[in-house]
Amino acid sequence: MIGDLEQILIAAVVSWVLFVSIDIMFSLPKKGGVSGARGIAAQIEATGGSRNGGNMMGNIVSSPDASAGTLLAACGVFIAGIPGGLLAALLVYIGNRICYDPGYAGTTGAVMATFVIYGFTMAGFSAASFIAGMVIAILTIQGIALAPASRLLDLIWRWRS
Amino acid sequence: MEVEILNSQELALLVCVAIAVYAAIRVILEKNTLKKLPFLNVMSFAVAGSIALLLPHPLSIIAAAAYFIGTTLESNAIASTYAGGTTSDE
Repeated sequence: MIGDLEQILIAAVVSWVLFVSIDIMFSLPKKGGVSGARGIAAQIEATGGSRNGGNMMGNIVSSPDASAGTLLAACGVFIAGIPGGLLAALLVYIGNRICYDPGYAGTTGAVMATFVIYGFTMAGFSAASFIAGMVIAILTIQGIALAPASRLLDLIWRWRS
Repeated sequence: MEVEILNSQELALLVCVAIAVYAAIRVILEKNTLKKLPFLNVMSFAVAGSIALLLPHPLSIIAAAAYFIGTTLESNAIASTYAGGTTSDE
């Protein structure tokens, strides 16, 4: 049995890989979905960041994406197992429509995260660790240094395309 | 046997609350309005997670999602207003 702190760190890495790969798969760095997302990208680019990475960060701010889906799915699985995660996915879908977002990154992220997190709970993890893990994962992208984070996302985006 | 001071749920809550406070400080310190929003986003993640961890009840999923989607929509509106509004959307 691994310790609680290690569980949170492993959950953070798993959540990071999950949400970044789904967002990149849905081409979030390609362009800002709304003018606000493009505005955030322009500001990040003006302070030494990358436009594509900034687009993805702007999109994350402007509409629930796969990272939000992962967080809310973790909350859902923590409280009510798989049905809770799927309820969270439905709420993310409604949230996407409210936020003028035509994409399905958030909903896909929530559904996939529900099953991934449920799988980890079978292996002895607590779903609570995934809530904290996802918060740490988003902190590394949106909360420490915006310009280097945007360049990292751009690197992954160019490697994919 | 080692005495556990915090269980996994309490530890997760501690992480979420600490990150929420940190993100709030970053929002205050950042001067540029558009660049405040990613930090605000981190704070919303941390608070939504805290809601679910503090109140493990089926309705908390809806409360956390409603809070999170609400703050996202507000960030979207603030960012879009600063960036020129819907006139530059297709």
